[in-house]
Amino acid sequence: MNVIETRNLHKHFGDLHVLKGVDIAVAEGEVVVIIGPSGSGKSTLLRCLNFLEMPDEGSEVLLDGEVIDPARDNLDKVREKMGMVFQHFHLFPHKNVIDNITIAPENVKGVPRKQAKATARELLEKVGLPDKEKAWPSQLSGGQKQRVAIARALAMDPEIMLFDEVTSALDPELVAEVLQVVQDLAAAGMTMVMVTHEMGFAREVADRVIMMDDGIIIEQATPDRFFGSPAEERTRTFLGQVLHA
Amino acid sequence: MFESIWVVLDMHFLGFLKATGMTLRLTAVSLALAVVIGLVFAFLKLSRNPIGNLLANAYIGVVRGTPLIVLLMFLYFGISEIVVLSSFWAGSLALAIHAGAYVAEIFRGTIQSIDHGQHEAARSLGMSRRLSMRLIILPQAFRRAIPPLGNQFIIGLKDSSLVAFLGVSELYSRAMTAAAANFRPFETYLVAGLYYLVLVLIFTWLVNQLELRLTPDRRAAA
Ligand SMILES: Nc1ncnc2c1ncn2[C@@H]1O[C@H](COP(=O)(O)OP(=O)(O)O)[C@@H](O)[C@H]1O
Ligand SMILES: [Mg+2]
Repeated sequence: MNVIETRNLHKHFGDLHVLKGVDIAVAEGEVVVIIGPSGSGKSTLLRCLNFLEMPDEGSEVLLDGEVIDPARDNLDKVREKMGMVFQHFHLFPHKNVIDNITIAPENVKGVPRKQAKATARELLEKVGLPDKEKAWPSQLSGGQKQRVAIARALAMDPEIMLFDEVTSALDPELVAEVLQVVQDLAAAGMTMVMVTHEMGFAREVADRVIMMDDGIIIEQATPDRFFGSPAEERTRTFLGQVLHA
Repeated sequence: MFESIWVVLDMHFLGFLKATGMTLRLTAVSLALAVVIGLVFAFLKLSRNPIGNLLANAYIGVVRGTPLIVLLMFLYFGISEIVVLSSFWAGSLALAIHAGAYVAEIFRGTIQSIDHGQHEAARSLGMSRRLSMRLIILPQAFRRAIPPLGNQFIIGLKDSSLVAFLGVSELYSRAMTAAAANFRPFETYLVAGLYYLVLVLIFTWLVNQLELRLTPDRRAAA
């Protein structure tokens, strides 16, 4: 079954038509990578999936096969089921690492503190930061911050993870440690949609690669086909630009 | 002259100290009220409700546009028309209404200064708008508000001297009475000034301590 699906997804910002009818479907356990030029609507697409942005009237977003109706459904509950990781981490600077991870489970789901902490410690282990639970975000490197942010999202036990250029703000030498965590998650069967410019990673980890430009999906294929013999001219041009940069 | 300062101090040390107690009570009560008023109007100003916006803008505009002494007298006599209040409470209320406008602007500013990404991260974790405000935005905004609030509180402490004109016998009122009686206004006001100065210094130190205590992350990083 599809964990998440969109049908005829449109999004305007005022007069600006950013998403022009996007249909995607992500199956359970699938890793979908979205690439495309800056400004093509990749972030907006991710943000419409968890309703951080409200899709235009007439668009449909389905979670576990059910159409989400913003007027009727509790969107907070919908967002609980989708973890999101941002380019700029957005850790909570007034909370230490472990509290960054426990604050949502405790306050949103009512998980008892002890249990929330135990889960947080397991997650910190998983992202390779078992000794950082008492650290403050301001004391961490970018790569460490992003790994805490991933742990924080995972703590809500989401059905799907959304990654928006999670390595773009990192120093080059810190990219690998974050990608490794994402790759481990993929290997563990997590369903995910990831916007990235890391083509090597896309080729290695993705089940499917989607090319977006100007608010529409240009083409989508398995990594082998996508990178080996892209069908569309725009994809070839884009790949030419990023691969030779 | 220094001798006469000692004479004044000797005569009024305890009396001024007692009056200082009244100044502190006025300041504490009015500023506590001002924080509540300030929070309410900061939220009104930030809300999407146009009537709330209008109300907040009108309140802040009027307070900022009138001298405190005028506002004080106006409110004192205005309040006395409606309810019978002691001059202490009328004075505290008037000071609170005045300081509240500035406190509202401080809170509005610091709430708005928190990166929108903080709110989005909170929402993406399933937090409601309200929960995100309470757990993520306000704690950070409060921390950022401490230095400007401390500043406003010092101004409030000094502004409390104007309540002397409502007949509250706080420090400044005591100094006026003393100066009229001892014919040494220069020394008397000098001593009163020193009392205020010491209060402000103590207060500044307290605010710094509070700021350190409330920013464990910065302490750890330092
Ligand atoms: N909140 C917003 N308000 C107005 N315009 C926006 C907003 N968010 C994004 N846009 C615009 O939408 C377009 C697509 O943005 P985005 O989805 O961030 O692209 P990408 O992630 O592919 O670089 C851009 O032109 C951007 O300026
Ligand atoms: Mg983007």
